[in-house]
Amino acid sequence: MRVSVSSATIEGGPPPELIYRRLVRPWAMLRELWESRELVLVLAEREFRARYKQTKLGFAWSILTPILLMVVFSLFFQRAADVDTQGVPYALYTYVALLPWTFFNDSVSKGATSITMNLSLVNKVYCPREVFPLSTVATAAFDTLIATGVLGLLFIGYTFMPEGGIVWVPALLAIQLAFTIGATLVLSAIVVYFRDLRQVTPMALQLALFATPVAYGLDVIPKGWQPIYSALNPLVPVIDSYRQTILFGEAPPGGLLALAAVSAALWLVGGFLLFKRLETGFADVA
Amino acid sequence: MLPEGTIRAEHVWKRFRADPLPLQLRAQLKQIKRFATGRRRQWRWVLRDVGLDIQPGESVGLVGINGSGKSTLLKILTKVMYPYAGRVEVAGRVGALIEVRAGIHPELSGRENIHLYGTLLGLSRRQVSERFDQIVEFAQVETAVDRQVKFYSSGMQMRLGFAVAAFLEPAVLLVDEVLAVGDATFQQRCIDRMRDVLHQGTTLVFVSHDLATVEGICERAAWLHNGVLREDGPVRQVLTSYRQALEQVEEMSPTTGPIQLVKAVIEGPDGTPRTQEPASIRLVLRKGTSTPGRVSIGVSEGPAAPIFLLDHHIDVGQGEVEVRCDIDALPLPRGRFFLWAGVFERGGELLRWHPAAHFDVIGPDLDVGPPGIIRLSPVHVGAKWQVEEL
Repeated sequence: MRVSVSSATIEGGPPPELIYRRLVRPWAMLRELWESRELVLVLAEREFRARYKQTKLGFAWSILTPILLMVVFSLFFQRAADVDTQGVPYALYTYVALLPWTFFNDSVSKGATSITMNLSLVNKVYCPREVFPLSTVATAAFDTLIATGVLGLLFIGYTFMPEGGIVWVPALLAIQLAFTIGATLVLSAIVVYFRDLRQVTPMALQLALFATPVAYGLDVIPKGWQPIYSALNPLVPVIDSYRQTILFGEAPPGGLLALAAVSAALWLVGGFLLFKRLETGFADVA
Repeated sequence: MLPEGTIRAEHVWKRFRADPLPLQLRAQLKQIKRFATGRRRQWRWVLRDVGLDIQPGESVGLVGINGSGKSTLLKILTKVMYPYAGRVEVAGRVGALIEVRAGIHPELSGRENIHLYGTLLGLSRRQVSERFDQIVEFAQVETAVDRQVKFYSSGMQMRLGFAVAAFLEPAVLLVDEVLAVGDATFQQRCIDRMRDVLHQGTTLVFVSHDLATVEGICERAAWLHNGVLREDGPVRQVLTSYRQALEQVEEMSPTTGPIQLVKAVIEGPDGTPRTQEPASIRLVLRKGTSTPGRVSIGVSEGPAAPIFLLDHHIDVGQGEVEVRCDIDALPLPRGRFFLWAGVFERGGELLRWHPAAHFDVIGPDLDVGPPGIIRLSPVHVGAKWQVEEL
């Protein structure tokens, strides 16, 4: 159908002073996010329900990944690489590291596609967009919580008492969480524009698993490289610290951990700001 | 801070990419080269300098042909999209029905979806629970509420979507062409619900190609054409201009087929037809062979369904023939209308049903109904009123 109307009167573009610029106002944005906290939980819940509907094993899937990896590592790594666990059972040694790793892995791999998977919502309903990656992090956190129960069983099975260094755990968790959320936010926003990353992410995570001291210890890495390594991958000192404190009852490597903390904080803040910048175009490329 | 329910859009511009997005590696490399050598992307303007100022409680119909930018404007109002230039402010909670199944997740049950969608629209769990029964009742999914939505019929999904958005009491309700899906009863209930919502003071922006419904619900209309706001004003006035622009192209009689229409006119006693006065319609038909058929004449306000239809059996020989139809009292108010014609036989059409001519009617305006319950009432009825003290 054609309308007989004189061709549009306004040619060219808008005057430059009218061009819309996204003001990144962190406090207002954080407040909005806080007001949507329930939405994060509801989305995470939806993810759970949808994932386990019509499955036979249901929640057992949450713990299967870390357990299988633990078994595989125990069977092969322990024998092939001869890891020095200082008398701690290898299964325990690697499982303590697998928990934060699986959390990171699940958050990032599912978080990367969280915006693109929810385009039908992103395109039609308004909400602060970061609720989607955050809800995948929340889902992964819940999975990890269930998997942590298995750690308790391992302690009992090996009649191993966690050491007093366990008081460090909240600080370690904070660093781990900051880095995980930051990385997830960055990736989820970039994937919207470069869908190629969707294919790359799983592969990169596979490589990262072996580049992180999960199956082996931090002592394998030369002392001189450790600071750079920790700054680039804050999970490295965090995972090592979990072992040092819970399994060996020693103080965590303070310097490396501080470096990791700074790096994780940068990831979190930078990731959030980047996400908010890129957010304005999500619906356009959807 | 604007009062709740206000929509204010000033100088809104929006553009989309116009260059194709290649999937092949080679084409992509070419594009990178082009980018590096300074030839930038091509853009297409979808909204140009659109301004819309809507007060709380107003009901505005957004009309325009496909691709005129209606949906984009609506998305910008929901804050789903961001404008390229300009300012948009919407005060209060926005309920948007951009696509019916937008917030509906197929794997979840109806109950879970209601909670999810409610939370998406910014309500707390408790607030959703309070309205839960109403939503279920309106959507008529009582027996299916704990079933996964993917096992719902599409009608049920759409009812659920509408019910959730309409019962969560937003300050602003944006509705985009969704009523086309449901059956007639449900459409009517949706329209009634929208009217209820309007009475509660909600601002409504309604996008539809069904001009009759727009006219029935909205007091004001905005006409977008090619990304530019062409007209904004009282619904009847805007729709009249819109219909006229639409029809100017449509009036073309087919030159092929067994019967051709040579002439189609409608006249009153002294030329221009007048309200409630006699009028006669004359059609001149040209025919190749001699076959009987039924001639149908209709009058409409636009491309929508005719206001009235007249139908008569004719049996014409070869050559030209004039068909004349006299109307005792023309039941049309002042305005512009279209005369449709077609000739049919049992086996098919001899002359395609098409708008053959337009005409103006002189007469009084229609009475205006109470606000919010204006329905499409295109017929002028002659009536005498009497009020007596008893």
